Amino acid sequence: MNQSDALALDLKHMIIDTLELEDVTPDDIDEQAPLFGDGLGLDSIDALELGLALQKRYGVTLDAEAEDTRRHFASLAALKALVEERRVD
Amino acid sequence: MTPFSTHAIRAGSDYLGLTQRPWRQPVQSNGALTDAWCHAQTLGPSIDAWRTWLEPRPKGRWLLFATDPATFTAALLALWESGQSALLPGDDRPATLERLSPLVVGRIPAAPTATPIATPTVAGTQDNTAATSRVALSSPDAGLPLEGEAVVLCTSGSTGQPSLVAKSFRQLDEELSRHASLWPLTGRAVISQVSHQHIYGLLTGILSPLCHNVPFCGNDSRYPEVMAQRASESSHIGLTNRLVTSPAQLSRLPQHLALEHQRITDVFSSGAPLALTDAMRCEQLLNAPVIEIYGSTETGGIAYRQQSRHDAWRPFPGIELDLDDSTLRLRSPFLPHPDQWWEQADRVERDGEGFRLLGRRDRLAKVGGKRISLTALEQRLCELQHVDDARCVDLDLRDGRLGVVVAMAGDALPQEHEPRRRLIASLREHLGAALEPSAMPRYWRFVEALPLNPQGKHDQAALRRFFDDLTDDRQPRWLGAQGQDSQWHLTLEVPERLRYLEGHFEGFPLVPGVVLVQWAIQHGREVFSDLGRFRGVDRLKFQKVVRPGQRLTLSLQRRADGIGFTYDSAQGRHASGRVRLEARDE
Repeated sequence: MNQSDALALDLKHMIIDTLELEDVTPDDIDEQAPLFGDGLGLDSIDALELGLALQKRYGVTLDAEAEDTRRHFASLAALKALVEERRVD
Repeated sequence: MTPFSTHAIRAGSDYLGLTQRPWRQPVQSNGALTDAWCHAQTLGPSIDAWRTWLEPRPKGRWLLFATDPATFTAALLALWESGQSALLPGDDRPATLERLSPLVVGRIPAAPTATPIATPTVAGTQDNTAATSRVALSSPDAGLPLEGEAVVLCTSGSTGQPSLVAKSFRQLDEELSRHASLWPLTGRAVISQVSHQHIYGLLTGILSPLCHNVPFCGNDSRYPEVMAQRASESSHIGLTNRLVTSPAQLSRLPQHLALEHQRITDVFSSGAPLALTDAMRCEQLLNAPVIEIYGSTETGGIAYRQQSRHDAWRPFPGIELDLDDSTLRLRSPFLPHPDQWWEQADRVERDGEGFRLLGRRDRLAKVGGKRISLTALEQRLCELQHVDDARCVDLDLRDGRLGVVVAMAGDALPQEHEPRRRLIASLREHLGAALEPSAMPRYWRFVEALPLNPQGKHDQAALRRFFDDLTDDRQPRWLGAQGQDSQWHLTLEVPERLRYLEGHFEGFPLVPGVVLVQWAIQHGREVFSDLGRFRGVDRLKFQKVVRPGQRLTLSLQRRADGIGFTYDSAQGRHASGRVRLEARDE
């Protein structure tokens, strides 16, 4: 498994554990599918939880541009790009 | 970074009631904020644009849903100034809007342009007058009628039927003036993290700052990082901040934002009780008191508390309480009939001059501060042909999410991970049209029949037990037991998050055999009360692997020297064996 795949898997576990998605396994999360709304069906409370988890796990802090936040949370691929760019651990 | 615009704002002012139309009062300016902020004095042109748009259209009550506080406020004030009112839906899903459309003359669009209004009730009266054509506005000086309808709010009724609650200007002003005397806003800015489509967000996030002529913002500030940014913007021009928020936000407030330096002077929370630990933590992070407001759409605010000081709720001045029989009755100037007693659905106990909350009397739950009718959710699930019955369970989990138990015919029950996931997706889709995302049940359990107690009522303990694996990741999901004396059959499911799944074969999670034996012993001890100490295992056979998501029948037989067990699924037999569990004869 290369580094990028390992990060994707790690992020999938983070999402499943943080949000208690009991019926979801890492294989069920499509990297390109939307996390919110129609895809995984996450909501605004989940967005707050994910923000906290990103900070705790990777030291990634989100900035004050709300549009940016929405973009980063669009899909697992977008989230992965954010962590690759900003991780400080 | 948004450039600073030339929005002129005033640092502070005294309170004026809504009927005096504080947004039309001249003020002096002494600062500038970004476009994200809204201020009574800068709303004038957009209020006028909305009035021009409204002028040729039918008069009455309009459906208003807008997430942007500036658009929302300008449209609302234009309606008020032209003698009309607004119905505020809690969300803008098609099903919600369709249900409410017979009650309004039309829907306020995203902007006051000439787009025809797509509401059946106004067909035939649609007017395509260009918004740019000037229509003479009636004098904006006329006062607002005290007893006139200002807004109609939507709330979830206990029967599942959403109910509508009208508020007059008098009711809103009564409440706003008490807020103003308890917690004046002079010299502050208001940052809201809650929806203004509901009473609390409307009063504290929009109307209160309007009446004090202070700047306010919302929408994007629900993100903690944006909220911190807004707080620093207003501090920059010498204002302090009031944060209007909710337990859902406060319990997830990040630590790294250095919010203690952002000149936040008070924090308001409403929608549900805040956990004491969250209240203490947030007071420290924000360096400000956290004041909770308890109330409902129907009553407006009833009581408030600062939990770190005293956990009993203290009624607002002017509210009279009757707390007999653990029922909360009140007379309040915020109600439509201040001289009549109103009964709340919450159970209470007296505490000094105030009270403590003990839980609800009806079948409503709160998720993310929103009232959700469990009855309505269940009815909606039962509309589906393959669903026989459904029962929501409030699990008291930290995340506040709902669980639901769905009864289906045996051959429709999901036997494995994939079918189970597809079933959940289809149920979510069915609910999605009518339910807000946060109200969506997160935990699903499928059984042949809902468990009943000997009185024929839903067996709450059994319903809750279906979810026990959520708090112990070593347990299988228990979905019922049938049997008597020496023979029992238990329905189990393997949670996808079971602790023991990984680390055996890479990429192929399965339940190790020793765990199956352990589960058999553990459930054996529960159904047969007289089992002794573990002495050994015989005739163990593992025929098929047990995978996450698998539904299993564990059959247990009482034997002279212990138990016999088998695990079967739709695929056949997975495992069997005998466990000796008897005290050795000396």
